[in-house]
Amino acid sequence: MAVNAIETKGLTRKFESMTAVDSVDLSVEKGSIFGFLGPNGSGKSTCIRMLCGVLEPTGGQATVNGFDVAKQPEDVKRTIGYMSQSFSLYRDLSPRENLQFFGSIYGLRGDKLKSRMEAVVDLVGLQKYVDQPSGTLSGGWKQRLALAAALIHEPPLIFLDEPTAGIDPVARRSLWDLLFDLAGGGTTLFVTTHYMDEAERCSQIAYIYMSKIIIRGTPSELKRLPQVSPEGTRRLAIETEDPPRVLMGLKKLPFVRDATLAESEIHLLIDKETSDEDVSKAVSAGGQTASGFRNIEPSLEDVFVAVTKSLEQQ
Amino acid sequence: MNGFWSIVLIEFMHLRRDKTTLIIALVLPMMQMILFGYAINFDVKHIQTVVVDLDNTPESKQYLDRLHATHYIDYVAYAKTPEKAAGMLQDGAARVGVTIPPGFARTIEAGGNPQVGVMIDGSDAQVSVRAQLAFLSPPASLPKGAPDARINVLFNPSSKTATFMIPGLIAVILQVVTVALTAFSIVREKEQGTLEQLMVTPVGRLALMLGKLAPYAILAMGELLAVFFVSDVVFGVSARGSLLVLFFMSLPFVLASLALGLLISTIAQTQGQALQFTQLSLMPSLLLSGYVSPRETMPGWLYLISTVMPATHYIEITRGIMVRGAGFSDLLPQFFALIAIAVVLILLSTFRFRKSLA
Repeated sequence: MAVNAIETKGLTRKFESMTAVDSVDLSVEKGSIFGFLGPNGSGKSTCIRMLCGVLEPTGGQATVNGFDVAKQPEDVKRTIGYMSQSFSLYRDLSPRENLQFFGSIYGLRGDKLKSRMEAVVDLVGLQKYVDQPSGTLSGGWKQRLALAAALIHEPPLIFLDEPTAGIDPVARRSLWDLLFDLAGGGTTLFVTTHYMDEAERCSQIAYIYMSKIIIRGTPSELKRLPQVSPEGTRRLAIETEDPPRVLMGLKKLPFVRDATLAESEIHLLIDKETSDEDVSKAVSAGGQTASGFRNIEPSLEDVFVAVTKSLEQQ
Repeated sequence: MNGFWSIVLIEFMHLRRDKTTLIIALVLPMMQMILFGYAINFDVKHIQTVVVDLDNTPESKQYLDRLHATHYIDYVAYAKTPEKAAGMLQDGAARVGVTIPPGFARTIEAGGNPQVGVMIDGSDAQVSVRAQLAFLSPPASLPKGAPDARINVLFNPSSKTATFMIPGLIAVILQVVTVALTAFSIVREKEQGTLEQLMVTPVGRLALMLGKLAPYAILAMGELLAVFFVSDVVFGVSARGSLLVLFFMSLPFVLASLALGLLISTIAQTQGQALQFTQLSLMPSLLLSGYVSPRETMPGWLYLISTVMPATHYIEITRGIMVRGAGFSDLLPQFFALIAIAVVLILLSTFRFRKSLA
C-alpha cells in the first residue's frame, strides 16, 4: 500500500483570535513535485512549519512520511529535508563544515557521513567551493549548498520554501534541473514559489488564499476550472505597436472581461460572440492596428487572478 | 543643515515604535535609583555576632544587652569556646565573636576594668570598621568598671583594600564576560536565520542549550585562571585557602552566569537588545551582591532579591576561600545555591526557547 508523503485533514492553526491556517486538506503523492502557492501572509509558512513538526497544530491532523506531526514531531524532523528562501546555514563556516555539522545532527558518523557528503557535493556540483566561507558564495551556489544540506540524510521528502527567490535565471534553471533529477529518483518535493513558470513544472498544485485552500489539481485541471474560463468567453492574444496604451483603451470596452500584457502581447478575456474583427475595430478606433490574432489557453497566472477575483466579489 | 528636521522627525517615529528602548530610557533609571538608593548603604547595623560567655553572671548578661542595644550587634549564636567561635567566623556564620572571660563580674566588683575578647572578620571592610567602633566607644558603660575590649581582626588585619576588593572583583569581572559570551548565541542565530534551519532538524532543545553552554564554560574557566594570576602577581592577593577548591567551586557560578546569558538570548529579539539586557543584568550584581556594600544593610525585600543572584553566593565563596581561608565544607550552602540557580536558569531558558518559537 502506497502511503502518501503528506496527508492532512482539517489542519488548523490559530494564533489567539487569528486563524492562520483554516481546515486544510492536502494529500501529496510520493515522488511528486507538489506546488504550494498563495500570496504572502496567506498561511503558507505557518502550514509548512506545522508539516515540519516545528509548530503544533491547534486543530485537525497531519501525517508526514507516516508520522503524526503533533505526536511524533521528532520522527517527522528526522525524515524530512528543509530548504528556506533565505540562506540559513552558517556563513562563517565552509560548505564542508556546514554539511559535516548537519550530517552529524542527523546521526551520520564516520565513513557514512563522508560518503553522504561526497554524494551531495557531487549532486549539486559544489566541489570547487567546499572550503571557502559559505557567506562568500553567490546566491545560486548558496541555494545549491542549502539543497545539499537538506539532502545530507537522504530524506524521502523535502520542503523547499521559495528556493529560487532572488537568484538569477540561469541559476534558477539549473536548480530546477536538479529538482527534476531528485523527483525522478523518487524524492517527494513540496515547493512554494511565486514564479508561474515554476508552478507550471509542478505535478500537483494547491492554492492557499486567506488561510484556506481554494483550488487544487494539476496545472491543466486548474486551467479548465469554470471560474477561470467562464461559459461564453474565450481568450485571445493580439499584437500591437504600443501595447500599454492599447491595453488602457481595451479595458474600457464592455465585451472585455479581463486584459493584461504578456510577452509584448495583449491577452484578453472576451465574450465568445465577440469576433476578432470587433477587437480589431476597437483597436483601430484608438488609432492603432492589431494583428497576430490567436486563441490561447489561460496561464496559471490567469487562473489565480480569476479565482481570487471571484472570491473577493463574493 | 539640509534634512535636519526630517531626520529628527523620523527618529522620534522610530522611538515611538521601539517600546524596549523607550522603557529602558524612561522607566529603568527610576527603578534603578530606588533599588540602588536602598542597596548602597554603608551604615552597617545588626552585625551577626557569636557569643562565648564564660562568666555567665548578671553582669555579663547586662554587658551583652547593652551592646545589643546599640543596634550594631545582633547575637546569632552562642559558642562554648573561643575556638568554636573563630570557626564560625571562618565559615561566615558570624562576623564578630565576643568572649567574656571567667571572673568578669568579680573584676567589676573589685573595681577593675575587665577584659573582653573581640574577634572581627576583616574580610568586609565596612563591617569590620563599624564593629570596631561599636566596641571602642561603648555607648552605655556599666555602672562601674568599663570593660576593656581587646579587638583582634582575624582576616585581613591590615584592612588592605585590595585583599577585600579583589575577591569580589573576580566575581564581577567573571560575570561580565560570561553573560556576554552566551547572551548573543541564540539571538544571533535568530537574526541570521540559521535557527530556522536548526529547528527543522531533530536536535533536542536541552541539547541545544547545553551544547551552546559547554564550550564557553571551558573558556570561562580559562579566564578564571588568568584572573587569579593577575590577582596574585599584580595585587599580591592570593588565596589563603585552597586554590583548587576555589576553582572547583567556581564552576557552578560560571554555569549560572552562562545560563543567564542564554536566558537573555532567548528573550531578546535582536542582538542590540541582548546587549542592553546584558548591561542591565550587571548593575544589580554590582550593587546588590555585597560587592560594594554589605548585604546586612539592605531592607528585607532587597536582601531576598540579592539571594537569587549568582554573584552574591560566589562573592561569599571567593571572600571565604581567599580572605578567610575557608574550606569546601564551610561554603557548601553557597555552592548548592549556585547549582540550584544554574539548573533553574538552564531550564528556564529551555522553556523560554520553546515558547519563543511559536
